[in-house]
Amino acid sequence: MSLVIGESGRIEPPPLPAEQTARALRHLRWWLMRNTVRSVLSGSRLRLTMILCCSAVFWLGLFGLFWGSFEFIGINDALVNGIFEYLFSMFFLSILVMLFFSTGILTYTALFHSREGAFLLTTPATTDRIFAYQFTESVGLSSWAFFLLGSPLMVAYGLTNGAAPGFYLIFLAYLVAFVLIAGSLGAIAAIVVANVFPRRQKLVLSASVAGILGLGALLGWRLWSTPGDALSTDWLAGVQDRLAFAQSPLWPSRWMSAGLLAASRSDWSRSGYYLVVLSAHAGLAYLAAAAMARDLYFRGYSRVQGNRSARRRQGGYWFDALFHRTFFVLPRPVRLLILKDLRSFRRDPAQWSQFLIFFGLLAFYFLNIPRLGYAVQSPSWRNLVSFLNLSVTALILSTFTSRFIFPLLSLEGRNFWVLGLFPLRREQILWGKFVFSVGIALLPTELLVSLSDAMLGMGPLMIALHAAMVAVLCAGLSGISVGLGARLPNLRESDPSKIAVGFGGTLNLLVSLVFIFAIVTALAVPCHLYYLGIEHPEAQYALTHGAFRFWLTIAFAVSLVIGLVGTVLPLRIGIKAFQRMEF
Amino acid sequence: MIEVRGVTKRFGARCAVDRLDLEVRSGELFAFLGPNGAGKTTTIKMICGLLSPSSGVVRIGGNEATSQAARQLLGYVPDQPYLYDKLTGREFLRFVVEMYGLEPGRASRRILELIDVFEMRDYIDELCESYSQGMKQRVVFASALVHDPKILVVDEPLVGLDPRSARIVKDLFVQQARSGCAVLMSTHLLAIAEELADRVGIVDHGRMLASGTVDQLRSELKHHGPLEDLFLSLTGDHRPPMSSVEGQGPIDLAGRPQPAGTPL
Ligand SMILES: Nc1ncnc2c1ncn2[C@@H]1O[C@H](COP(=O)(O)OP(=O)(O)OP(=O)(O)O)[C@@H](O)[C@H]1O
Ligand SMILES: [Mg+2]
Repeated sequence: MSLVIGESGRIEPPPLPAEQTARALRHLRWWLMRNTVRSVLSGSRLRLTMILCCSAVFWLGLFGLFWGSFEFIGINDALVNGIFEYLFSMFFLSILVMLFFSTGILTYTALFHSREGAFLLTTPATTDRIFAYQFTESVGLSSWAFFLLGSPLMVAYGLTNGAAPGFYLIFLAYLVAFVLIAGSLGAIAAIVVANVFPRRQKLVLSASVAGILGLGALLGWRLWSTPGDALSTDWLAGVQDRLAFAQSPLWPSRWMSAGLLAASRSDWSRSGYYLVVLSAHAGLAYLAAAAMARDLYFRGYSRVQGNRSARRRQGGYWFDALFHRTFFVLPRPVRLLILKDLRSFRRDPAQWSQFLIFFGLLAFYFLNIPRLGYAVQSPSWRNLVSFLNLSVTALILSTFTSRFIFPLLSLEGRNFWVLGLFPLRREQILWGKFVFSVGIALLPTELLVSLSDAMLGMGPLMIALHAAMVAVLCAGLSGISVGLGARLPNLRESDPSKIAVGFGGTLNLLVSLVFIFAIVTALAVPCHLYYLGIEHPEAQYALTHGAFRFWLTIAFAVSLVIGLVGTVLPLRIGIKAFQRMEF
Repeated sequence: MIEVRGVTKRFGARCAVDRLDLEVRSGELFAFLGPNGAGKTTTIKMICGLLSPSSGVVRIGGNEATSQAARQLLGYVPDQPYLYDKLTGREFLRFVVEMYGLEPGRASRRILELIDVFEMRDYIDELCESYSQGMKQRVVFASALVHDPKILVVDEPLVGLDPRSARIVKDLFVQQARSGCAVLMSTHLLAIAEELADRVGIVDHGRMLASGTVDQLRSELKHHGPLEDLFLSLTGDHRPPMSSVEGQGPIDLAGRPQPAGTPL
């Protein structure tokens, strides 16, 4: 390297063309992709085929759903067509928000919290280059889900509308520009958060997610309460009125929907116009993000790194003592493990804030049940809503167990040298996790479901039944997450959210959904028929009181068996795998 | 080459580095010593531009630490090095030379040379995820040296290396320094510091307690024992004021002088 020594004794290395580092990063990406693909192909074929099959089934399912509904609604009706423009704007607006958050979070982690980021910062690549490199990866990851969601919708719409092939092509162009806008805005937000709130990033995130969910709930409620009969002219006008905000010409989602609908009618000039608008803004947003990264990346990195909490943490020992005394039936090592997990849970705001936000929103909704007027509806309607509320609670719980309980064992695997040397049998570790998960899940869900039942004015029998169902669901979901977490661990990854979205985590979520569906339908069907029978005693399907007892007992027994199998089987599989596992 | 002037770094209320001055000239090998949590890694990260100082200046060859020029001059081996799991060692080295804009012919010669020096031929074409800790460490060393840095900054260099690789690395440090490179290494191995370093600096609680050649320190502190004793007496709990350190033989772990002959 030939060096130039400046007048002030400054050493100037030879200039490094920007193209040079860009090329190095391009090669890096290419090598990484090639090697990853190679090792996936040479790895477990079963896993790969399962992932592909799951994606295909998911895509086809969505496609069928959209196609069916488009055919059903009948697109040619001018009025309905008008509604479509609104619905599409709404759909893309929500995608815009989702992409904003997901890309923002991914970019934040990649830039400020990853070791790769730290490494790249010590290379001579300029910060906007490093940003470009990391951003591409984040956008790729987050738009993949969008593609999976959006493409069946667009294909179904195009097919029912008889769109020209150009429609599908232009959709891809639209998709790229749209993702780039949402992602760049997310990245800008990430850089701002790192620079302005380096310590409060999780709070900012939770608060904004809560805000968005609140707005969404408000909108849902307003749509739900549109006056008039469903699909009547008045009702449609009311719905349009309520969705009008999504039609503001300033939303990128609106350009997207207007342009795509124009393309589906082969109105190419209009569609091209919107594509130009969209891509111009995409370029601008990306440029702004890159410029911010150039000036603020270093500063933000230093601030984020310098703000790890150095607080002393002590105390809470009375809690430990109380815990030991209350749960004296459990073996002591298991109790110690549970206490350790509880402590980590308490100190990780990402976990409990998510817990609080979702369950808080649910509680808010349940408390408002009387105002929504559900309580004065017919018994069968209330019964239906009570089961619906229970399912929503269980669904939220399942996302929670997938996100936090499932990765627990993978994370533990990294520290297995500690646990492995403890005087406990390996299966006790799993049981400890199971008890921990059930304990954390049981309290809020039981409270929530009782609250919902009380607000709906359900009878004591139903309340007891729901309480028992919730217990079964908690045990089952915990068993599935702990068991599969041990069977399909990811010992390489240290970021639990990445473990949760991997293959094992996704499978875990699917199994959990099937489990919830089985338990809820087994019990909801006889109850619903019974209550319908009270209202329409003459109907053929009506259950008499005696028949209802009989069927309910059977259904209850069946769901208990499902619950038991759903709890014990995954745990057994997990324990077996865990005992064989090498760390 | 490395110039640290009155640098302070605060993490919230904690002062990790406190008005620290440090200079490493080219051709010099400087060993940075200090107990755990003394602020060595923090200082090194500021030198590499990863942390910005709360106050004070850091200059690398006269350039600002975060500037591109500074990073071009610098080779850095962090305490927890990063390697791409899905790259082979050779691909990683090729990435680094390309990043620094080395001319291709020279780059491949340099890579081959370092593969030989670090004896990595057997595994250099396997993915890094399959490497042992020491193998990774060697690749990281090679990557820090492959672009002929003018300044080499190494945090805890010998962790995880077998005696043979440790020897290679030590020889390389000396060789780099003799060829005009400024080398800064933080280490806990006092014997290494004594053996290799032109100058040593001892930090504790973020402050530079003493710096100079080992002989200078000895005579300044009137301490004639091994460097280890000197280090312990400087950084011990009940540290006597610097001027009154008496070279009377061994001290215990708390820094209290012991009558000669008592076992530690
Ligand atoms: N990101 C951070 N946030 C808060 N405090 C930090 C951070 N990094 C380091 N510290 C604190 O700064 C002080 C110095 O840490 P540093 O890592 O520089 O020590 P060190 O000399 O490298 O120690 P060791 O010999 O153990 O590597 C310590 O007290 C540590 O707790
Ligand atoms: Mg250190």
